Amino acid sequence: MELIDRRAWMGGVARAALGVTVLDRLALGQATAAAASARSGSDVNIIYLMMRGAMSHIDTFDPKPGRDEQGETKTIQTKTPGVLFGEHLPKLAGLSDRLAVIRSMTTETGAHEQGTYLMRTSYPQLNSIRHPSLGSWALQVKGKRSRDLPGYVLVGNGNEHPGCGFLDPAVTPVPVASPELGLENTVRPRYLSETNFDRRLALADRIDRDFKRLYGGAEIEAYNQMYKDAVRLLGSVDLAAFDIEQEPEKVRERYGDFALGQGCLLARRLVESGVRCVEIEMGQWDMHRDIFEELPEAAGRLDTALSALLGDLEERGLLASTLVVLGTEFGRSPRVNENAGRDHHPAVFSCLLAGAGIKGGVVHGASDERGHSPEKDPVSVADFNTTIAAACGLPTDKEFMAPNGRPFKIGGGGQPIAAVLA
Amino acid sequence: MSRFFLFFCMLAAAVSLGAGGQTSEGRQARKQRVNQQLLPKAVMEEPSGPAMEVPAVDRSTRRDVRQAASGIDSLLAAAWKEKGVEPSPSLTDEQFVRRVYLELAGRIPSYDETLAFLDSKAGNKAAERRAELIDSLLESPDYVSHFYNFWADILRLTERAQKNLPFEPYLYYVKDSIRTNKPYDEWVHEMLTADGRLWENPAVGFQLRDFGMPLPYVDNTVRVLLGTQIGCAQCHDHPFDHWTQKQFYELAAMTSGTKMRPGPQPGQGKPKPGQKRAFQGMRDPDAFAVRRLLQEVKRETDRNGVVQLVLANATNVKFTDRPLELPHDYQYDDAKPLEVVSPKVLWGEVPKESASADGRSQFAAWVVSHDNRQFARTIANRMWRKLMGVGLVEPVDDFREDNPPSNPALLEHLTDLMLKLDFDLREFVRVLVSTDAYQRRAVVHDPTSETPFQFTGPALRRMTAEQLWDSILTLVARNPWTVQRPTTGQIAEIVSIDIRQADAQTVVRKFDDYMASFGPGRYQRSLQKVCGYRGQLLLRASEMPAPLPLGHFLRQFGQSDRETIEGGRQVATIPQILAMFNGPITHSMLERGSVLYDNVTEGPPKEAIDVVFLSVLSHRPSAEDRGYAMQEIMTADDRATGCGNVIWALLNTREFIFIQ
Repeated sequence: MELIDRRAWMGGVARAALGVTVLDRLALGQATAAAASARSGSDVNIIYLMMRGAMSHIDTFDPKPGRDEQGETKTIQTKTPGVLFGEHLPKLAGLSDRLAVIRSMTTETGAHEQGTYLMRTSYPQLNSIRHPSLGSWALQVKGKRSRDLPGYVLVGNGNEHPGCGFLDPAVTPVPVASPELGLENTVRPRYLSETNFDRRLALADRIDRDFKRLYGGAEIEAYNQMYKDAVRLLGSVDLAAFDIEQEPEKVRERYGDFALGQGCLLARRLVESGVRCVEIEMGQWDMHRDIFEELPEAAGRLDTALSALLGDLEERGLLASTLVVLGTEFGRSPRVNENAGRDHHPAVFSCLLAGAGIKGGVVHGASDERGHSPEKDPVSVADFNTTIAAACGLPTDKEFMAPNGRPFKIGGGGQPIAAVLA
Repeated sequence: MSRFFLFFCMLAAAVSLGAGGQTSEGRQARKQRVNQQLLPKAVMEEPSGPAMEVPAVDRSTRRDVRQAASGIDSLLAAAWKEKGVEPSPSLTDEQFVRRVYLELAGRIPSYDETLAFLDSKAGNKAAERRAELIDSLLESPDYVSHFYNFWADILRLTERAQKNLPFEPYLYYVKDSIRTNKPYDEWVHEMLTADGRLWENPAVGFQLRDFGMPLPYVDNTVRVLLGTQIGCAQCHDHPFDHWTQKQFYELAAMTSGTKMRPGPQPGQGKPKPGQKRAFQGMRDPDAFAVRRLLQEVKRETDRNGVVQLVLANATNVKFTDRPLELPHDYQYDDAKPLEVVSPKVLWGEVPKESASADGRSQFAAWVVSHDNRQFARTIANRMWRKLMGVGLVEPVDDFREDNPPSNPALLEHLTDLMLKLDFDLREFVRVLVSTDAYQRRAVVHDPTSETPFQFTGPALRRMTAEQLWDSILTLVARNPWTVQRPTTGQIAEIVSIDIRQADAQTVVRKFDDYMASFGPGRYQRSLQKVCGYRGQLLLRASEMPAPLPLGHFLRQFGQSDRETIEGGRQVATIPQILAMFNGPITHSMLERGSVLYDNVTEGPPKEAIDVVFLSVLSHRPSAEDRGYAMQEIMTADDRATGCGNVIWALLNTREFIFIQ
């Protein structure tokens, strides 16, 4: 166990900003080296599709044909013999040889906020600490790939995201509200010359010195860091990565004309340009009422977007270096409720992995015949996240000390699922 | 002097404070903008009167306020002594005027307001001047706006909290309850027991916010009003607390008979999965009327919105006592699955005078009772955090035995005060801001620290998104109130249908009226005409449509999506900085006709730098800063550009967005 030294850490980040490899004089540096040797040559990107509201497992990746619990959703055969998906996922069914489906995910948290937090950080939400999200860990350990572009982008609502947690603000995701608009306000007003811009910044710094002398603390430091990052970003030629309008119409259509699809397209562009982690949120899944009316659209969008992303990454030779994750908060109840919906169900649910470090055509674990509880090989959120970390070559056994003196592991100290790791 | 004169001329000649530059492109841009009024006229004009009538604060109780404040201060002083900590330095008048405007009016003071306070001779004594400023802010529309934002975050106020159900009347009701300073216990009781349709009795919005989810409703209500998290016990006994699943159901049984629509409710009988049961009650005349009208409407039109309008009119909150069963998979020994539970409060007793009332009324009476100290304690702690930045219990909605208050004596003292003031929230706020502890310089607080915060001053906080927006607006608009959120009456007139009498044509006509006034895009466009500037509405945050799109300045700075309780955040992100650098809002104040522009160009030129500092940071520049600013102005391409650079630089300091 090593103490994370804040100043040293800041130094590392500063050097990362200059394009130098990070963290060699840090505890983390050693961890990185160890991990790299364990999994040679791995420099993995992550694209994480987060299904907010909790995706029904029975209607998507873990159907129970012939049972009452199945409701109105029919099933289809996938490319993998004997494996069925819900009927609204035909394209993903055709790509099942690329997918590792985990059907025995299980948690105890049936509340959205806590569920997402656990999935993102591997730890339960507590009052006394903010844990880093997995993407922030990846960035902290592996460093940025691009000098100017951010290392971590969130397509969606930043408010609920744990971000960098207790790590440095430099590894927090940059939220992008809409894939269509990309990163806004990156163009200086016409009348503002570059020299003037620099003068303004210098002046702001000078006038702010008294305040900064009086007040420190994480919040102020985070703003100081964001100002630095924003200035660097503004000067970058790589900004075009955020502009999906530059994609041919055909490609845009392939991903689908809705936020998740265009978000996946943005993710591909970003990863291609050197962004290490991208998370895309999709809402729409909290189907307490009329699930069989609402499902075709939501599942159809997921099917189009994710299949386009996997196909496109593969065609561009990026799938081998990009881990694609489909996660959600928890499952939905096998019992259809009085309002023709399904309620929250943390006992069992399904998630997917594909791409870098992952074996395709695998179904791991199983729920019981009702889709109520895990029957075989239960997988905790920590196991799942440890598997992600392992696939990315992140150290999963190492203990890191948070500023409050408590030890943490990347992935939450779970067991990686050997059966899905390539 | 001639140097200043030159500066003045240049400034006055410039079209906007940011424009200029020596390039031909710059000149061209400038030419194009001459005669073009970019800021909307209504926003630039001085309003003819106050935005709303707010009841006056009683000056005669000032002595009591002082006394109550010093009671709090002596408890804090004792705690400081015991812990061996020194209080933070007292606020200067300049720091005080900024903080108190931000936290009572939700915005920085304008240039005029800052000067009026700093130069005011009234009362001579500093304490009196401060007390007078506090009182005048508490009776201003700004106070209503700011505390509306505060409650909007807690109560998850959005205009379409449920599909196609207009919540505007509820939002207006909340705002108006703050305006009239309705006692908190009365306000809560109204919301917990309200019957009717949204535009007839808008207080029903509180119950409708969790429409169709009777169990989460109980969870959210207890969390917000009683600071207690029993949500886990909805599915299983609470892992860290003593709440059992049975207790959760017993409490839920008090309110679960609340009907949102006529006809049988979910949970009655055993429908097959997927079966639709809406409005099927044979003996309920309202259900019959809805069914008839729906059929008629569906024959007349296939527009879904028309059907939704009927459904909105069919949404009518009413309480009927009916039993609640335990879940089918109930796993504990103290009861069987599907067993009917008897209604029971979590602690204490239902007040005697309500003992024979229906379950929902008993619940409401129990919640707001003076005997239920947890209700008073929760709101006292919440208001304390609002002003001091950190609750005595944190988070404010997680009171538990193993999450004790950092200063129990103070929390009980504040609870007593809340009860003594009969839940007069404005008076409570008046006391807190009058304390010596509040009027001290902010202290950096690390929420993950093991040592509890000692309140040697309020915790340093970034402005909320709304405070930041309204502050920027202060630099731009003489009238930030050109539009206010629609009233209950306005909505009622447009959407109300008599279900039993109406025919399909009437419904279609109503729907067209609705679409033309409040329909998607329409309402926004009508606001744009009045106060639109480069795609933004120059309106107080409280009056803006809610929720705003994710990319809006307010959302970028962490305004809640209003889906989670207190979802607002003050976390730094890159898009925020980009918006401050290049966004339309930052530049609105550099346009001709903005408050700041006019104050800078109309005043004596040698005071321009003072005006800029007083406007943006609420204090005069130090000699050093004045030197920097002057140097910038004198060496820039032209004076106006230099002045614009100074304004922009001040906006992009940490000092601007953090409340000192």
